[in-house]
Amino acid sequence: MPRRPRAGQGRACRRGAPVLGVGLKMLFGDPVKLLGLVAGIAFSTLLMTQQGGFFVGLISRSAAVIGEAGGVDVWVMDPLTETVESPSPLRETDVLRVRGVPGVAAAEPFLLGTGSLLTAKGETTAVAMIGVDDGSFLGLTPRFVAGSPDDLRRPDAVALDQLAFANLWPGEPIEPGRLVEINGRRAVIAALTDVTPGFGAPATAYGRRSEVAALLGTPQPTSFVLVRAAAGEDPAALASRIEARTGLRALTAEGFTDATIGFILTSTGIAFSFGVVIALGAVVGILVAGLTFSLFVNENLRQFAVLKAVGLSNGRLALMVLAQALTVAAIGYSIGLWLASAFFDAVDQPLSDLKGFFLPWQVAALVAGATVVIIALAALSSLWRVLRLDPATVFRG
Amino acid sequence: MGAVVAQGITKAFGRGEARTAVLRGADFRAEEGELTFLVGPSGCGKTTLISILAAMLRPDEGRARVFGTDLSGLSGRRLTAFRGGTVGFIFQQFNLLPALDAADNAAVPLIVRGERPARARRRAVEMLDRLGLAGSAAKRPAQMSGGQQQRVAIARALIHEPRLVVCDEPTASLDAATGRTVMGFLRDLVREPGRAAIVVTHDERTFPFADRIAFMADGVVTHTALPPFEEKHP
Repeated sequence: MPRRPRAGQGRACRRGAPVLGVGLKMLFGDPVKLLGLVAGIAFSTLLMTQQGGFFVGLISRSAAVIGEAGGVDVWVMDPLTETVESPSPLRETDVLRVRGVPGVAAAEPFLLGTGSLLTAKGETTAVAMIGVDDGSFLGLTPRFVAGSPDDLRRPDAVALDQLAFANLWPGEPIEPGRLVEINGRRAVIAALTDVTPGFGAPATAYGRRSEVAALLGTPQPTSFVLVRAAAGEDPAALASRIEARTGLRALTAEGFTDATIGFILTSTGIAFSFGVVIALGAVVGILVAGLTFSLFVNENLRQFAVLKAVGLSNGRLALMVLAQALTVAAIGYSIGLWLASAFFDAVDQPLSDLKGFFLPWQVAALVAGATVVIIALAALSSLWRVLRLDPATVFRG
Repeated sequence: MGAVVAQGITKAFGRGEARTAVLRGADFRAEEGELTFLVGPSGCGKTTLISILAAMLRPDEGRARVFGTDLSGLSGRRLTAFRGGTVGFIFQQFNLLPALDAADNAAVPLIVRGERPARARRRAVEMLDRLGLAGSAAKRPAQMSGGQQQRVAIARALIHEPRLVVCDEPTASLDAATGRTVMGFLRDLVREPGRAAIVVTHDERTFPFADRIAFMADGVVTHTALPPFEEKHP
């Protein structure tokens, strides 16, 4: 039996942590509803992160050529050129004009076009043809998986990406030596690369600029002038100087990547399309999590009333509900993020069509923020019922 | 001076034409050291009256004093604190938290008051031991009989040593023998100085445990009876 009565009001206590423990026990004590809540958040997280990763991966492909070009500080192009994959041709003399700008250590022509590759078995594919300067190879990807840059010096030689090779000759050994036709002309796959496919064509082939120009049959074999800055030269300052001296457009590699991606985002429906899917993921998350959480709160109203009856204030009760919601969000988000990470790990393989797709931390962070908003909305939509709850409810049957 | 004194309590619910007066100037008194029963037909206002006396509900008019504290003068926050410190509750449906085991359920009032969970649980286990539930501390409500659940609810009501215990049909879900045990326990409790208990009940078998019985009808306490009371349905 109790030893002695305690007078008056109970001692004021602001410590909320123990009460949060009670709330979490209530949450974990109902595994079916917990599963429903977690599944809703996990699904929403998976949908948003996966689509977000797809979006970033797809957009990144639009500028993949820039990222693959090794040792390039500044890209010089016609003022009308908006993206790396749709260049307006330059004149041969533009290369010389760029070379004359102070601070330029090297300036070489770079050709980019699209061809049609035909195998001996009759398989065809569009191929992004990249021609690098015959002498310096400036702009050539360093990522060779079979053969070497020197193999490109042989007649009719191109270096094809291994993913395209695997798609054209499925199940066969990935090795150099095969003969193909590009735009009706003979070409030899002299080497294989591991480059990420671009936006416009599923295959990428590198070659000497003279070779690629012949294969494409183009009379204007300069799409860009690639610049290597002199030692100690700031690429951004050099780009500005080139623009001032030549009237051409000059951007650093990072600047050109941003400009290309920016153009794709603003001039195509891709952002809108993915944005709709991501928004749908958020809406589904809100609906599933909101309805399930609302159900959870509704079914626990009597328990909340008991807690109110024994002296739990509205503020601490609100904290308890929010702690329950945030716990659900943390578990659901972690599971959804893990599933999305596992998905991208599985697809980002050298011979996968989704090669180069990944989950940027920025997407994960944004989705984490969205998840907190989703569960906060779900909690707040239920919270008012808890706060308005009459503790005397406990006396009703 | 009574432990619980209510004067002229009125309370109505609803709005406009739907507004219904439940209490119509009820006076009530419970003495220290006594087990006071509140009886009357369904709908007469018993639950509303004990809700007001237990600091859960504010009256429209009238005053209620509990161990010298005028409840009408307390803010909402102070009412909550008063409830948590001074009042213990025993409900007809036990109202245990199903996800918590018996010890955690009994410890809830202490945890709400900020007691460390481990210490609160230790005290709860001691309390359950006193109530004959030594081996059931780790059981959840669904694993216990109605009598065991009610004893857990009693442990929860008493663990923070409240001065006033408010019981709503505490024996309604229990068999006769368990009901007598519970009532005997409550009677022993209020015999300690500085305590009082109010029991709302329809169960006339428990009347012999009462120190006084207040009868309600139509929103007022019509009269109060003192012992001896007979057990109508032994």
